[in-house]
Amino acid sequence: MKLIAAVMIALSATAGVALCQARYDLLLKRGHVIDPANQIDGVMDVAIAAGKIARVAADIPAAEAKKVVDAIGLFVTPGLIDLHAHVFGYSGSIFPDDTALTACTTTVVDAGGSGWRTFDEMQKRIIKPSSTRVLALINIVGHGMIGGKYEDDVTDMDSAKTAAKIIENRAEIVGIKTAHFGGSGWTAIDRAIEAGKIAKVPIMVDDKIFTNTGRTSREKLMDKMRPGDMHTHVFNDRQLEVIDRFTGKLQPYVTEARKRGVLFDLGHGAGSFLWPVATKAMAQGFAPDTISTDLHSSSIMTVESDMPNCISKMMCLGMKLQDAILRSTVNPAKAISKFPEMGTLSAGQIADVAVFTSRTGVFAYKDAWAKKMLGTQKLECVLTVRNGQTVYDRDARTFPEWTKAGAYEVIP
Amino acid sequence: MDQGWGIRGDSVTCLAVVALSLAIALPASSQDVYDLLLKGGHVIDPKNKRNERLDIAISGGKVRKVARGIPTAHGRRVVDLSDYYVTPGLIDIHAHFNSEGDAHSLNPDHNALRNGVTTAVDAGSSGWKTFEQFKRKVIDHSKTRILAWVNIVGPGMAGGKIENDPAQMDSEAAASVALKYPQIIVGIKTAHFQPATWEAVDRAVKAAELSKTIVMVDFQNKPGRGYRELILEHMRPGDIHTHVYARGIPQLDAQKKVQSYMLEARRRGVLFDVGHGAGSLWFRIAVPAIQQGFLPDTLSTDLHKRSIMLPRSTMNNVMSKFLAMGLTLDQVIERSTINPAKAIRRPELGSIEEGGAADIAVLEVRKGQFAFLDSGHAKLTADKEIRCVLTVRNGEVVWDSEGLSRTDWRDAGPYSNFK
Repeated sequence: MKLIAAVMIALSATAGVALCQARYDLLLKRGHVIDPANQIDGVMDVAIAAGKIARVAADIPAAEAKKVVDAIGLFVTPGLIDLHAHVFGYSGSIFPDDTALTACTTTVVDAGGSGWRTFDEMQKRIIKPSSTRVLALINIVGHGMIGGKYEDDVTDMDSAKTAAKIIENRAEIVGIKTAHFGGSGWTAIDRAIEAGKIAKVPIMVDDKIFTNTGRTSREKLMDKMRPGDMHTHVFNDRQLEVIDRFTGKLQPYVTEARKRGVLFDLGHGAGSFLWPVATKAMAQGFAPDTISTDLHSSSIMTVESDMPNCISKMMCLGMKLQDAILRSTVNPAKAISKFPEMGTLSAGQIADVAVFTSRTGVFAYKDAWAKKMLGTQKLECVLTVRNGQTVYDRDARTFPEWTKAGAYEVIP
Repeated sequence: MDQGWGIRGDSVTCLAVVALSLAIALPASSQDVYDLLLKGGHVIDPKNKRNERLDIAISGGKVRKVARGIPTAHGRRVVDLSDYYVTPGLIDIHAHFNSEGDAHSLNPDHNALRNGVTTAVDAGSSGWKTFEQFKRKVIDHSKTRILAWVNIVGPGMAGGKIENDPAQMDSEAAASVALKYPQIIVGIKTAHFQPATWEAVDRAVKAAELSKTIVMVDFQNKPGRGYRELILEHMRPGDIHTHVYARGIPQLDAQKKVQSYMLEARRRGVLFDVGHGAGSLWFRIAVPAIQQGFLPDTLSTDLHKRSIMLPRSTMNNVMSKFLAMGLTLDQVIERSTINPAKAIRRPELGSIEEGGAADIAVLEVRKGQFAFLDSGHAKLTADKEIRCVLTVRNGEVVWDSEGLSRTDWRDAGPYSNFK
């Protein structure tokens, strides 16, 4: 009897009589929804049930939800997808949940931390225990991203074994990374592409063009990379000559490569975002296809390359928020063939949702040389829903006041 | 895109002005030129009773001078901190940073340094069998100064079966590791012990006696193994009970009055630490305790993979929560700097000393509408929050969210990664 009474009280306290009709677990009310895949850009309600997006509509009654969040003045978007992160293997890699989910990033793609020899360990140590959805571009180097000597070793770049590992793990491995190759010539890129052809996946390229490498931006983009392959670190002039060093003009081959279907990824990182390059490229209409962080133990500090900061930096350079969200959700999902199951707020898809506030003031954004540009807007993550669960709630919007919570236990 | 030239022109003019002003105000002796000059911040340094606007000059990783009106020209890099508070680098005496050896631990640097924490004490994520691996894989590579409570359980926090097994608890072995690494190990941790016996606490205390250190106790109150007995009889003066505002710890009576034995234990010299964590800070306990004047001796996070998410027990949030519960800013700073430094017997770490290591936190007290969760996910609203905007560790600016120490890119001249 006591138990029944307690349950009755709890029920009436939570949602009154409406609970028996509560179809939704969570309702984000009257936020500014930006869902580029569905051409939504306006005030809408987003309802979530059983881990899925249930409905996005102009007015969903509050009584139909167990929990209602007032999202007036906030932006509501699909959970961000960070196409270039480091959560395994690399010496600066960092566990994703406390860095990604707190930055509205519900999916991260580890960019080459593991290779075919080490992917299973990554699956066990990082992918399974994380609440963040972790995908992988596996390194063409079998041992993964574990330092110069290993990463320069062409004998550990096995296209067949790399492709086989991908085919075994299609749900989690979305492509191949080649990075940090210190030798000359094209072996690393060629082997990555060969594996990409066998497994039918794209490659992501991180590659220096110092004169002693024998490689040039034009050859890389026009002759080697295939449509759908991605060059990361787009605003690092040591990797890509996007801007002519002498005239400051956009190189015609970058535009041509884009027409061919080669993709350009931000990959901010600690070394790959320079104001002198980014300002010139953006002023000439050359924006990255995908916004990504290259987040690791160094880039998370001085230059603060988390997703909301990368978006804020792009907005400093004139990109509209709506466009930046497209390049942080739909575009990366498409680049790894995970669209439309990721990157949208379509009904029926997994409920990965980001809620932002946009602060106005004066904010300092730092590039890889720690030089600052002052901006007047800052996008900040306030709430993250992953798989229908509130995993981050900076301003405690989804929870009751302690003085009104009774003899509260842990409130779900 | 001719902008570039205009910019260069500006920077040349700017350089000329700087050169001119340097020439005029050049200091008499080169010894007076500092690497970093923190100007005009409101310094709160409880140990030295500083609570006023002061300049701090830093060179070679050390604090060289703390004074009013150190000339701007004496700093190679000058940072205007007039909108901020400047405190000794914060000390978190209960964190979990054994990221390579413990499934619940977090990576230390970005979590500690971005919160102004320059010294973090790992609370038993490694035990006497695993400490050396922790040192080799994490401590030796971290920018954060990481100290450790070594777990009385040999493998550390390796799950219920091992942590409940007295056979894993060896006082002599734990003491000998503590004696071998006195620079890093501050004492012995006991935690998570379920059986209603005193073996874990008593062996930890024994190890502390043998190594002349102290213990940090995480305790579960059980019939036959009571909390009162723990703090009045088993723990020694200087030993620390962490999780003081947790459920299951009988700090308050049924009327929410602080139990007399809490005050008696405090008089004996037992210390009470917050250790927020995923389960150990409940507003319904902490608020009445604080209203009755029972404040914690030290603020700490118990930061790990779960506590960092919803209850968000980062150091700045813990400080903001206690500010919101009625502590003054001075009390919050004292409990995040000199109190923890004294508790772990490293008093030099909790203050700003000329000649001492330059570990400094620059804090902003933001005004607005804020809300924080406790371990039960209940909300406390607040009109202020504490945020670290700049951290100096060993004389180096390692965190600078507002870019206060950074040059505007247009004044930096042309730069490129291309070689």
